[in-house]
Amino acid sequence: MAREFWNSRFAFIMAAVGSAVGLGNVWRFPYVCYDNGGGAFLIPFFVAIFTAGIPLLILEFSVGHWARGTPPKAFKKVGAKWEWAGWLAVLIPFIVAIYYVVIMAWCFSYMIYSIDIRWGSNAERFFASFLGDTGSPLIIGGISLPVLLGLIAVWFCIFFILYKGVGRIGKVVALTVPIPTLLLIILTIRGLTLPGAMEGISYYLTPDFSKLGDVNVWLAAYAQVFFSFSLAQGIMITYASFLKKKSDLTNNAFIVALADAGTSFLAGFAVFSVVGYLAMMQGIGIDALGTQIAGPNLTFITYPTAIGLLPFAAAFFGSIFFIALLTFGIDSAFSMIEPIAASANYKWKITKAKATAIMCILGFLLSLIFATGGGLYLLEILDHFIANFGLVTIGLLECLVFGWFYKIKRLRDHANETSEILLGRWWDILIKAIIPIILVILLVVAIINNVINNPYPDYPGWLIVLMGVSPLLIITVSSFVLMKIKGKKEDEV
Amino acid sequence: MNLPLSAIIMLIFGCVVLYGGLAYFVYRALKGKKINLKGEK
Repeated sequence: MAREFWNSRFAFIMAAVGSAVGLGNVWRFPYVCYDNGGGAFLIPFFVAIFTAGIPLLILEFSVGHWARGTPPKAFKKVGAKWEWAGWLAVLIPFIVAIYYVVIMAWCFSYMIYSIDIRWGSNAERFFASFLGDTGSPLIIGGISLPVLLGLIAVWFCIFFILYKGVGRIGKVVALTVPIPTLLLIILTIRGLTLPGAMEGISYYLTPDFSKLGDVNVWLAAYAQVFFSFSLAQGIMITYASFLKKKSDLTNNAFIVALADAGTSFLAGFAVFSVVGYLAMMQGIGIDALGTQIAGPNLTFITYPTAIGLLPFAAAFFGSIFFIALLTFGIDSAFSMIEPIAASANYKWKITKAKATAIMCILGFLLSLIFATGGGLYLLEILDHFIANFGLVTIGLLECLVFGWFYKIKRLRDHANETSEILLGRWWDILIKAIIPIILVILLVVAIINNVINNPYPDYPGWLIVLMGVSPLLIITVSSFVLMKIKGKKEDEV
Repeated sequence: MNLPLSAIIMLIFGCVVLYGGLAYFVYRALKGKKINLKGEK
């Protein structure tokens, strides 16, 4: 089977940026920034980018490029007993994709609803009715038809983009990365020209330097960087494995990281200008909006409400907002399926089209549970556990396996061989000590927060185990099972 | 309402680091001695 390669360095950078930039850049970063000291948050954020985000990106690019294969192969190259960690790294994004695609299906429907601002004056009630919201995760309810249609459309798009291999990905991202960025710029300009916009921007950027002494603000910065850069999901390892032998790994990592963070920073202006306008129109303070400025609430309630209040071209700006979200999200969504499809392709020599079809059909069937009336609540529980425990564990495993069980200097030499910016010993120290310590702290804080402050006091324990803990256990066991199943030609894994 | 001076300073700081940094690394990629953006040299 001939190895695939990116058409150009530009295609790889666009694909990696497309994977990193997603819905979280729009609905997570602006709120995290506002909630952690406003403009002062930029200081820990930049420190986290340069001490953890970029070094980890360089590690993942170097590992993929060195191993010339997907995470199972890369981990196995260090030692056969570590192959399971590679499978775990590709199963995690597959699980994330199952519910991420549901949110994209919501965006798909809302893109159509934007044409006539169908949510009217009560976006909150419309959203609940659109989901068929039962008000509880214990009452599953029926499958929402518009969400089902959106799911079919999004999963089909993912299959269509992936089944031909990275050549097609390169062509798709040449459109789906610049287009939403351009739309975000248009939305930002429109937002900044609205009355009340400066009030919103002031909330976003006015620094509260006293927060810099709070360790939680620093942890929030590291968590933001870690989740936003598509790290610890096997994606960057897989993408880097398709790079040609002579590839500048270090400079690529800097470009991807800064493009992702730059998009988040820009999104803050698009979000807070409109939030300021909404607060002014409703005669309330921005503080009163609270968590309505983040997550699905921002996207499907707060922003549509503000769009509905626009004096002219509301449908136009509503449409481009949801088109931007869809195009931001689609690159991230297919990048989550690519690692597992590529891994199956390597180990069992299943054709790429077949492996992609199997994963898309399986993903579609599993995502149906989140298209039900109780789906939103189930989605929140699963996302909480995957983000707090799954991703951090994989990040830690990467640092430990490649930092301690493999000679990290060899990876540094590998990166330096073709890169313009040369890595020094500082990189080894970051990968072997500093980043693992930060990840352990994040993990411990997450465990303490979940044990002491139950995040879901209204839900029964068995539901938390079923939707939060058991998926993590199932994929961990599955990764060992996948390691044990013999490949078609063992050397190829 | 005007933006407070401290917010303007953070705005400039953010833009210089993020977009200035991005422009610098893209420039280095375009002018790369080893490999340019097309992956050649």
